Amino acid sequence: MATIAVPRTGSAFRPAVLDWLTTVDHKKLGILYLYFTMFFFAVGGILALLVRTQLAVADSTFVSNDAYNQIFTMHASAMLFLFIIPIWAAFGNYIVPLQIGAVDMAFPRINALSFWLLPPAGILMFSGFFFGGSADAGWTAYSPLARNTGTGMDLWIIAVILLGISSTIGAANFLVTMFRMRAPGMTMFRMPVFCWNVLVTSILQLLATPVLAAALCMLYIDRNFGGSFFDPNGGGNVILWQNVFWFYSHPAVYIMILPGMGIVSEILPVFARKPLFGYKAFVFATLGIGGLGFSVWAHHMFTTGAVLKPFFGFMTFMIGVPTGVKIFNWLATLWRGSITFEPPMLFALGFVSMFLIGGINGTYSAAVPVDFAIHDTYFVVAHIHYVLFGGSVFAVFGGLYYWFPKFFGRRLNDKLGVTQFVLMIVGFNLAFFPMHLLGLDGMPRRIATYNEADWEALNMASTIGAFLIGVSMIPFLIAVVAAFMRPKDQPDDPWEGNTLEWATTSPPPVHNFDSLPEIHSERPLFDQRHGIGGHGVHPATGEGRG
Amino acid sequence: MRNAARRLTHRFVLIFSLVLLGSLLSVGAASAQFGQPKPVTEEADSLHTLYLLVTVAGFIVFALVTGALLYMVVRYRRRSDELPPQTHGNNLLEVIWTTIPIVIVLFLFVSSFVVLLDVEEDAEPEDLTVNVTGFQFSWEFVYDLADLGRGEGPGGEGTVSVIGTGSEEPLLVIPVNEPVEFKLTSNDVIHSFYVRNFLYKLDVVPGLDNSFKVTAHETGTFEAQCAELCGLDHALMRFQVQVMERPDFDAYIAGLASEQLEQARVP
Repeated sequence: MATIAVPRTGSAFRPAVLDWLTTVDHKKLGILYLYFTMFFFAVGGILALLVRTQLAVADSTFVSNDAYNQIFTMHASAMLFLFIIPIWAAFGNYIVPLQIGAVDMAFPRINALSFWLLPPAGILMFSGFFFGGSADAGWTAYSPLARNTGTGMDLWIIAVILLGISSTIGAANFLVTMFRMRAPGMTMFRMPVFCWNVLVTSILQLLATPVLAAALCMLYIDRNFGGSFFDPNGGGNVILWQNVFWFYSHPAVYIMILPGMGIVSEILPVFARKPLFGYKAFVFATLGIGGLGFSVWAHHMFTTGAVLKPFFGFMTFMIGVPTGVKIFNWLATLWRGSITFEPPMLFALGFVSMFLIGGINGTYSAAVPVDFAIHDTYFVVAHIHYVLFGGSVFAVFGGLYYWFPKFFGRRLNDKLGVTQFVLMIVGFNLAFFPMHLLGLDGMPRRIATYNEADWEALNMASTIGAFLIGVSMIPFLIAVVAAFMRPKDQPDDPWEGNTLEWATTSPPPVHNFDSLPEIHSERPLFDQRHGIGGHGVHPATGEGRG
Repeated sequence: MRNAARRLTHRFVLIFSLVLLGSLLSVGAASAQFGQPKPVTEEADSLHTLYLLVTVAGFIVFALVTGALLYMVVRYRRRSDELPPQTHGNNLLEVIWTTIPIVIVLFLFVSSFVVLLDVEEDAEPEDLTVNVTGFQFSWEFVYDLADLGRGEGPGGEGTVSVIGTGSEEPLLVIPVNEPVEFKLTSNDVIHSFYVRNFLYKLDVVPGLDNSFKVTAHETGTFEAQCAELCGLDHALMRFQVQVMERPDFDAYIAGLASEQLEQARVP
């Protein structure tokens, strides 16, 4: 095993604040990631409510067109770059080393750097509001529009480059950790599925993020140093931006969803008391999504008239296949199970059902001729939210309720969790289902206002749904506060879990494990609980010879 | 504990079914075109048919998978502390449910490809052409007077142009039952030419010569607007498309031409 220089925090003398600022413990960094990303989830959520307030009625004057463009741009930027992508690093940081039986990440100091790049990036991105307005060209920053907007755009570019560095070095760290730091017996095909999803996500980040950084540098040069990468009048090409941007940003969609799939694949088996059905098929499907993810970027560009439509349409359809395999495997995991419905399971089931819709409405864009109608309309807004909210955000809350006892030694109240889930799934569908109909009827996205009276009722429904989602955060916050007001009382393994993070105390000590169980399968704790393993053969499968 | 779990299950199933029912009803309540605006061009008819096909396929998948999920959740809720059979997987099943989506997506891809070839035919040189320029934040439509009075002797010379302003949305007129080509140009940022009832949009990209062709089969006035974020007043970059009989079209354009000529004469 590699030797790891983890400065032990035996320093009771050091003030707690200094400890948090200088920590290289993967668990503390995970918690810092969590606080940071949840803060920006709240900020992005408030911006979303401003958007929905503006669009609740026709010809609204709640905010100006200028302010609106900034608000929706920053909503998306915060949610994607400062919430969803880094929150997987929160879970990954805390859980991956525990699940593979490691004492920390491979490079603890680089890990700290990954996190500490985030706060300046968040501050830079939002400081645009104090320098004549934030970025306002959409999170996609299409050029030439993005070439000619205010200072906020430069700050946004620098912020996203910093975030890209954070995520690139973070990805390298995860990969080395998983390749080199697994406990004895933890073969690659015994690694928990959550780790596999983080692994594939990390590969995507490592390969795709530098492309985004290059694109952003070109944009910065265009804006500030008279470049013309994206200016046809100077010999540049407008469509080039979209190609390089989406070459990152489509894999980025999988960066934003795969770890969520991993979390769901941890939760379903535990609460159905069965192994994940088709573990290897699931791993290969994840690799398949990762691979195909690099060949579908131009499906965001079918209406540009500058891409090979049949090819990208075909590849986009094909990525539905491994996704379908995952959904079937989740269903088969439930089959003949023994299911209970604590909050983590509710959110996981919410994920499966909502992500299914996000997959189905995605086929409308894969069918190129249908995409001609729905592209850049609210239909696409519905689609991304069914994937990234119905999918990712439900997985985030599933993961929070599931691992909260491990993170903090306290459990979030079940009733409040159920209340949150019910409010959230109703609010979510009320907010985003009507957007399908608005989009089909032709309401473009990113418009500050509309004058169609026919669109008012659906928009109002959507706005009410959005506020209901806001309300659903109240029981969550109460549950968190209530949990922290009580002493740590959680056992090592409150859910009868399968994976190694449940083999240590809640929360774990700095060095993670006092001892590790033997690892004979992808479910070492299940094996231990049921006396399977040792020198025997797994009675159900023949797997896991000791 | 068991009762509590069962109550939770029931509550979950009930709420989920309600959400599902609500979604289906709202779809049903949408117009006869299953949500899409009425297609008014020959191309839009094909596009709409494909949309219906995808919708039917999607609905079947949704109903089957969601049905299966609800069944599992109700049928296999925990009734005893007995450990359920530990099934780890089944290669035959994996092959089957890899094949099913492959068949579905291949079917949808082939259908899409056929429609794509159908709607993206190139225009003929003799087709009526409208030159469209998108700019921040309106549109200019330029007609060639030589295209007027097709088949009944030569039209006029020169061009006539309609430019929208911040206060007035421009009107684009085209004749019914004949192919019309739109040539799209932009000199500032990317816009997107989107007429809802065409079920089609094409981006207006600086430095790129985009064009497409439609044959409208229905007269009337239809709403349209820019569909690509283009800056401050993107939301107001609206226009209308009026499809009219050929003689009306000729008269309208000729009227515009003489109006503009007179305006030019008055100093």
